[in-house]
Amino acid sequence: MDLASFDAGLLRAALRRALGRGGDFAEVYVEDRDSLGLRLEDGRIEATSGGRELGAAVRLLAGEHTFYAYSDAVDEAGLFAAADAVAAAVRSGDGGPAVVDLGAVRSDRGRHPVAIPPESVAVARKALLVRAGDEAARSAGAEIVQVTVGYGDTRQRVLIANSLGDLVLDDRTRTRFTAQVVARRGDVIQTGHETVGGSAGFELVDEEIARGVAATAAGKAIAMLDSRPAPIGAMPVVLANGFGGTLFHEACGHGLEADAIAKGASIYAGKLGEVVAAPIVSAYDDGSLTNGWGSQAFDDEGVPTQKTLVIEEGRLTGYLYDRLRAREAGAAPTGNGRRQSFRHVPIPRMTTTYIAPGDALAADVIAATPKGFYAKSLAGGQVEPASGNFVFGVAEGYLIEGGRLTTPLRGATLVGNGIDILMKIDMIAGDFEVKTGICGKDGQGVPVGTGQSTLRIAEMTVGGTG
Amino acid sequence: MFDILDGVLERARARGAREVEVYGERSTSRRLKVYRQEVEQITAAQRQGVGVRVFREGAVGHAYGSDLGDAALDELVARAVANAAVSDPDEFAALPAPGGPPADVHPFDARLSAATDERRIELAVSVEAAALAADPRVKTVEDTMYADGDGEVFIASTSGVRGSYRSNQCYAFAYVLAEEDGQVETGYSYTVGRALEDLDPESCGREAAERACRLLGARKCASMKVPVVLDPFVSAAFFGVLSSALTADAVQKGRSLFAGREGQRVAGELLQLDDDGVRADGLDSAPFDGEGTPCRRTPLIGGGVLQGFLYDAYTARKAGRGSTGNGIRGGYAGLPSVRPTNLVVGGPVTPLADIIAGLERGVIVTDAVGVHSGANPISGEFSVGISGILVENGRLAAPVHEVTLAGDIISMLMNVTALGDDARWVPGGSIFTPSVVIEGMAIGGT
Repeated sequence: MDLASFDAGLLRAALRRALGRGGDFAEVYVEDRDSLGLRLEDGRIEATSGGRELGAAVRLLAGEHTFYAYSDAVDEAGLFAAADAVAAAVRSGDGGPAVVDLGAVRSDRGRHPVAIPPESVAVARKALLVRAGDEAARSAGAEIVQVTVGYGDTRQRVLIANSLGDLVLDDRTRTRFTAQVVARRGDVIQTGHETVGGSAGFELVDEEIARGVAATAAGKAIAMLDSRPAPIGAMPVVLANGFGGTLFHEACGHGLEADAIAKGASIYAGKLGEVVAAPIVSAYDDGSLTNGWGSQAFDDEGVPTQKTLVIEEGRLTGYLYDRLRAREAGAAPTGNGRRQSFRHVPIPRMTTTYIAPGDALAADVIAATPKGFYAKSLAGGQVEPASGNFVFGVAEGYLIEGGRLTTPLRGATLVGNGIDILMKIDMIAGDFEVKTGICGKDGQGVPVGTGQSTLRIAEMTVGGTG
Repeated sequence: MFDILDGVLERARARGAREVEVYGERSTSRRLKVYRQEVEQITAAQRQGVGVRVFREGAVGHAYGSDLGDAALDELVARAVANAAVSDPDEFAALPAPGGPPADVHPFDARLSAATDERRIELAVSVEAAALAADPRVKTVEDTMYADGDGEVFIASTSGVRGSYRSNQCYAFAYVLAEEDGQVETGYSYTVGRALEDLDPESCGREAAERACRLLGARKCASMKVPVVLDPFVSAAFFGVLSSALTADAVQKGRSLFAGREGQRVAGELLQLDDDGVRADGLDSAPFDGEGTPCRRTPLIGGGVLQGFLYDAYTARKAGRGSTGNGIRGGYAGLPSVRPTNLVVGGPVTPLADIIAGLERGVIVTDAVGVHSGANPISGEFSVGISGILVENGRLAAPVHEVTLAGDIISMLMNVTALGDDARWVPGGSIFTPSVVIEGMAIGGT
């Protein structure tokens, strides 16, 4: 099956069937996803796994109601069964609007260039990368007791047709390399994690990059062996560039997603134009960032991705919309309607979200802090958008004493409230970096980027055990 | 479906593979959301697919797909065989042998198949109504969801494993926002079962509302070391993370803090922890696991002493013993991995009211955020953000929030001193647990 030559007549017929008993917007989403995963653990490449999943979903919007049906069958029978299922759920009984003739297929293949399509590379060649990573991590020191290295690539092709006449084909290639390392000294066990990924092809990772990623993970694990329990209490916190961006993702990003806004379940609801952060803070969500892990040419509703200014010098300037929430709010969709697969309803999601760089030097931010906590790498976090309370674990942390990094600290958690913390950002450096992750919401995981430069929060609660 | 599975085995044999296992899945599901007493979303789903594992002299290749047509199955098998050539051989990796008759478990209730969408909607609407009516401070029910699933799994292998079963389950969930004096607090609750008749929508909605409302007025408290009472939702989250360290996979790969501690005290003397794949009311109970091995009950901690670990076929061979029926698959696309079925926390219980009355000072923890990111099952250290209720002189006092709870898992288990009489099922891992009392926990506040 080839999505590029999919029968447009069939798509239009399915849209018409979906609208047969009412509703005001119908959409067909056809997906063809091919994935490969390689995993090396304990010095051995374990079960190499790959697969291809095909499926189609039909969505019908009727006022504020969403009806959704999907099936693994992408033929006429499967599409029509899904269309009939959503049509049957509508209660009005009157037919919906006419389906606009589908235009020519839009696609934007060059948007995130793929130099080496991963499917053109032998699996055995990819295996060399995980072996190189394993070797590099193990040679980092005798204290390394376990190394897990993963390589994965995905080619996901989606075809999106809707009753407005949009017809979009998006061809997405993603490649990612990860390393997790465990170091042990006596009874102390510590872990380190590092990753590289992008909406790009096999060119993203070579042996040298693989070794670097694994060595970085190993270095983190070893450094933390000397750690002592983190202190408890409120103190200045310096967040390193890269992984530190998880803070903004949790503290602010989720609260800007328009579903939380529409239900008043966000501390940022009703605050457009208001001050929600220190004046030195400007922030973006950018789904169009070239080759970014969280990037695509189009979102999963066929809307082109874009760079959205969400905070301008401390003032809230925008939310992240999918079609449904944009329509309700009378706003334009921002290309943030994303779904994990055809099995999931699109919802507003972040892409690559970041605080824009400032002009301080990272070293000066630390030097200007007599006593505090330096979070070099964050383990992941969680937020309740309604209250704005968030928490995240620190994978690698250090004490700052006299403007210098001293003792490594373990077991620390940073706790705070979104706006409160954004208001307390008082220094931002220029060493901007983006890291990759998978963000979970409503049971859906999507690739996202989080980024920032080194920055300081004047005061924040650190929860440790020391 | 067995026709398709046999066809896959035949194709693999034709490609020279001798040890082959194929797993198939066919399911339907419904999911709906209600908002402000109206249907917000209905999803109807059909799903099917197969996954095939090829073992070639200890090297494993895996491939999966949703297209069950002839050409796609040819490609699937070719891919699994090719992947086996890339994987490294392992003397302990071999096709699982038949593990005896399936357990006498029947995780299917025909009443759910007869449910109509009208009844499902009615149920979800009544969950939300109960939440809205519970307290005037309920601002909104952000999420009210009902979901169910009905699936059949099939397995066949060249070693003679062959079986299938059908299972179903349903649940409803409410997530409530309560507001007072500009402060917003959240609360949630679930109700789970195998038929709509098993669910209790009123208590689900009401409890979610109560859990949110009782946190209103919460502030930070001072840092202190006190006994804490983890309520069943919070306890389930901790035992869920902890369980990964109780798998033989974690032990054999040097990722378990319980490695080498079998027979040793690792928890308070009264604590009993079982993995129970055959408990009649367990949502994750099944006749056999993802490798065809019969499910069973496996004691993990008894009398505070570590009894053993969970095994799939591979880790069992490596340890020179039998699988415990814990080779779990996350659908047709996933490889089996060692995971719990239903986790059951037990032991002698004390009425919750007596536990609270006996506390001079402590915290009842009703919500913990960041358990999955803030708890490290390898090092055993954790630090999470919590909300809850202070206990002073045996009485419930002010609510607290934005504070942390930190420690390490072994010390925490060792300091378990009492279990409440409020055990219940918590979904999202299928864990049955009461409130758990732990002495001397570090609360980080102001």
